[in-house]
Amino acid sequence: MGVFDAFWLATTLRLSTPLIFASSGELLAERTGILNIGLEGFMLAGAFFGFLGTYLTGSFLMGVVFAVVAGAMFAAAMAFLSIRLRADQIVVGIGINILALGLTSFVFREVFSGPQVLLDRPAPWRWPYLAEIPVVGEALFAQPGWVYFSLVVVAAIWFVLQRTTWGLSMRATGELPEAADTAGSSVFRNRWASTLVAGGLAGAGGSFLSIELGVFIEGMTNGRGYLALAAVIFGRWRAPGVLAACLLFGAADALQLRLQAEATVPLEVWLVLALLGPAYLVVARRSLRSHHPLTLTAIGCVLVIGTILAVAQPQFTLPAQLWRTLPFVLTIIVLAGFIGRSWMPSTLAIPYSREADT
Amino acid sequence: MGHKLLLNGAMAIGPVIAALLVAGVVLAVAGAPPVEALNALLSGSLGGRIQLARTLSFLLPLVLIALAWIIAFTTKRINLGLEGQIIVGGVVATLIGLHLGGLPTGAHLTMGILGGAAAGALYAGIAAWLWAKRDVNEIISTLMLTLIAAEALGWLVRGPMQEPGVVFPRSSAVAETAQWGTIVANSALTWDILLVPVAVVAVAFLQNRTTFGLTLRITGANPTAARRVGVNTVRINALGLILSGAIAGVVGAALILGGETARMGDGFSAGFGFEGIVVALVARNNPFGAVPAALLFAILDSGSGFMETRVGIASELVYVTQGLVILFVAGAAYLYNRTRRTRVDTSGTTPDAPATATGVRAAG
Repeated sequence: MGVFDAFWLATTLRLSTPLIFASSGELLAERTGILNIGLEGFMLAGAFFGFLGTYLTGSFLMGVVFAVVAGAMFAAAMAFLSIRLRADQIVVGIGINILALGLTSFVFREVFSGPQVLLDRPAPWRWPYLAEIPVVGEALFAQPGWVYFSLVVVAAIWFVLQRTTWGLSMRATGELPEAADTAGSSVFRNRWASTLVAGGLAGAGGSFLSIELGVFIEGMTNGRGYLALAAVIFGRWRAPGVLAACLLFGAADALQLRLQAEATVPLEVWLVLALLGPAYLVVARRSLRSHHPLTLTAIGCVLVIGTILAVAQPQFTLPAQLWRTLPFVLTIIVLAGFIGRSWMPSTLAIPYSREADT
Repeated sequence: MGHKLLLNGAMAIGPVIAALLVAGVVLAVAGAPPVEALNALLSGSLGGRIQLARTLSFLLPLVLIALAWIIAFTTKRINLGLEGQIIVGGVVATLIGLHLGGLPTGAHLTMGILGGAAAGALYAGIAAWLWAKRDVNEIISTLMLTLIAAEALGWLVRGPMQEPGVVFPRSSAVAETAQWGTIVANSALTWDILLVPVAVVAVAFLQNRTTFGLTLRITGANPTAARRVGVNTVRINALGLILSGAIAGVVGAALILGGETARMGDGFSAGFGFEGIVVALVARNNPFGAVPAALLFAILDSGSGFMETRVGIASELVYVTQGLVILFVAGAAYLYNRTRRTRVDTSGTTPDAPATATGVRAAG
């Protein structure tokens, strides 16, 4: 399958993992009405403190603990300001991002002032028997532990939100806080809890970036927090959708890494491009007529162009820098394709106050 | 009135002082004497002609980006992509500066600035269109566009726009006719600093003295009411974003055409697109307040390098301070609202009444 081989599949899983951690926590937070623009900052804090923890203790597990605590600490600042002081969540989020970038770079340069520190990388988990499956076994069942744990996390978030009383109270907090409050759920406690969970999980996701690579680089999250935010929107605030969105962004990222090394764009990439539109129509599960004519025209154009390119197979590639923008471009396109306001928690980013008129 | 001004001033300065104090504690913990660090910071930014010139040259990007943020935020749109709009503005200004030869100085320079503004406006226009027509959250789209622009810039200065025969990722210097004249030789302080007062007054005038400004403000304050009186709020929001992008594009043009080397390097936008947001927030979104706030951050930026070499403290401490300032400003808004409410209450006829909105209405 050319570039879509087992190696690509393995890379997709690995690149999706930090996004899955961050966006499943953010999903919980947004369902209670808290929008964490500072997700990028939580992840960066996790990346640095995960690296620091591993460096200081020599244990990957302790590294992750450091990362989760660091993410949760930043989230506590977010929660205090936006829940207790009812500050503007977006402004606080911007502040968190700048603070996290500054703090991690500052402490990194103060602590690791000498030559580049390289840590040992954690050994992958090899699942007995399953890892021996030909072709996909190695890709699916011999990955670092985070990869499997992220799937457990997103499943747990889904279960809590959809199948437990606590989850119901969480969702009510985001949709109609007055009613949740009247019914005896504590809006403030729910929002605090979900924000701390979001921070801790984003921290865990960030720790995967640095520990799995064995190095910390200043600002290494490079927009992944925003990709995770986009994944929550694209997944329409539902856990399965969010998981699919993360996998899609991870797949695009893995693909661009492969394409950087290819001399020309291979046939199968053009075919996938051509089929993206029809795939979207299938996923959207709506009648053809309900789509905007512009959307249908765009899909038709992409289908035709993709097919022509697949047949003609021109010698074509892009410089590495432009391939790197693929996940960002894809994010904009998918958000433009899916209008999801009606799915949005209705009090997202709106502070709650028990007083009658504030 | 005097009270209000005092309160506003305290609300702007308080968070900054708090953040600087925290930074001082961080300095002490990291093993540097805070007083000596402050000395180094000040002499690195204000201690001489060249230092002062560098500090003042940071005013233009900081103030104008703050104004760009303020314009978009008037309608409650969040333009996090100012950095990207600076980049595309700079790229187009560089192209104009390099390839439009044979024009008289004034015309060439004006073309460069207008080109930068148009590019920034177009780039923000993508986000505005996505927001208006496709309901795409502008925070995410503008940030994605910034990441794209930064990568594209990295390619341009190593590829098609690279100076021939040079290994550095940078373009050739733009034509002399497209450059701002320098005020202090061998520094980045050029006459483009005159744009600062012009832009501040223009934005303040636009906001407070024009119909467009009024529609911007009522759209931001109460979209439902604005729609009721016939304002096309979607269009106004989009226009606010586009105007914001145009100002960021001017900054991009100024960073190249008024830069020390008058050429485009990788990362020439230097984070001004985010730092300017901090300036705007400290100024509590007041165009005039942006000038003193920008001066403070210009001093921090300009002196931090010298502080790093003198007392051995990583200059990233400046970003820590900036992040803290935003958080403290956001927190201080709560105190501000509370103070106001209590003040109204105590002046009311029922001093024992709880601080509720009803009390405010009765007194006001």
